[in-house]
Amino acid sequence: MRVNGSIGRSKLVLVLCCVLYTIAGQCQTSTGQLTISMTVQSSINLIFQNNPSVGTNGFCPLTNSGTNNVGLDLGTASFTGGDSLACVGYIHLSGTTFQVSSAFDVVVTKANTSSPNYRLAAEISTAPPANVVWLVNGITLTNTAFTALDASDNYATAITKTLQVQVRNTVAAQTLLETVTFLATAN
Amino acid sequence: MVNRYNALRNLALMALLLSGAALSAQTATGTINATLVNKSGIALVFDTDAGGVALGASGTSAASANFGTVSAFGPLSAGVTRPSVGPVTFTVQTIFDVNVIEGGLTSANYTLTANLAAAAPTGISYKIDAVSLTTAAQTIQTNGAYNADTAHNLGLVVSMSAPGAGGPAVGSPISATINFTATAN
Repeated sequence: MRVNGSIGRSKLVLVLCCVLYTIAGQCQTSTGQLTISMTVQSSINLIFQNNPSVGTNGFCPLTNSGTNNVGLDLGTASFTGGDSLACVGYIHLSGTTFQVSSAFDVVVTKANTSSPNYRLAAEISTAPPANVVWLVNGITLTNTAFTALDASDNYATAITKTLQVQVRNTVAAQTLLETVTFLATAN
Repeated sequence: MVNRYNALRNLALMALLLSGAALSAQTATGTINATLVNKSGIALVFDTDAGGVALGASGTSAASANFGTVSAFGPLSAGVTRPSVGPVTFTVQTIFDVNVIEGGLTSANYTLTANLAAAAPTGISYKIDAVSLTTAAQTIQTNGAYNADTAHNLGLVVSMSAPGAGGPAVGSPISATINFTATAN
């Protein structure tokens, strides 16, 4: 009987403690639920970057390398005087035409897609003057449609492309400017 | 005989008058013994943060955050940022506020924990601030201030692998519920 009485008193004390504890502000909890939703979409990304040979002849540095919006300065060239930049490749294609060129890398990365590879195309922004031709790896570009460059390039692999400008010696002195848009499409 | 009649009539009238006087002076009183138990308590609500997505049912304890369409490289909805991309995962993130309201407490602050209501979908993990969530409660904050919006980052770490190769399902909505518990310190 004495033992039972002790247990009974202990229970009472414990309950009182808990009540006091609650009144004092402890043991208080509150809950909430935050529901998150989203839809994942597959995507690919194209960037231009400097070729490991950048700085040597035929490999000029890009401005803003590592992004999808870069600049490439091909310097000042003439049929008789060559090019002002050592990094620019310069050759005479014939007795009437010279070519300047510079190579860079294209890297396309994929996410959340099982696409095995991609195809690459390019387009220039405006029609060039007569007797001026813009090319990538020997393929002439136009401003009317994308021109296919590659049918199946590997993702996450640097693909070296050479931008070429061919100018006939009859072309008047002027600044030749184009924005070349590259389009990668997942296969 | 007449006198006796008059005497009886006078007595009756007096009784009537006295009776009326007694009725007009009657009053009644009552008392209400009122008691109020002022209980202490805390309540947790989610609020939209100015820098984050607009929460559904903002201001309640059962809110929702819709990230919209997310991808490693594509555009994101307003209030969603992409702090990191690649090479294996990308993270999209938003900010939301937790407000724990208290009353009648001597508690100085609160501890906030969170857990996923169910296992995360394949290819996705969830983070609150720097804490990766599981189905077990994780401590997010140990000294939350009462009655003020406290901003927290909600990050979704998404595998860049293809569906079926460890990546998440693509093109269909994915949802998860995070349970939060605030405990008075």
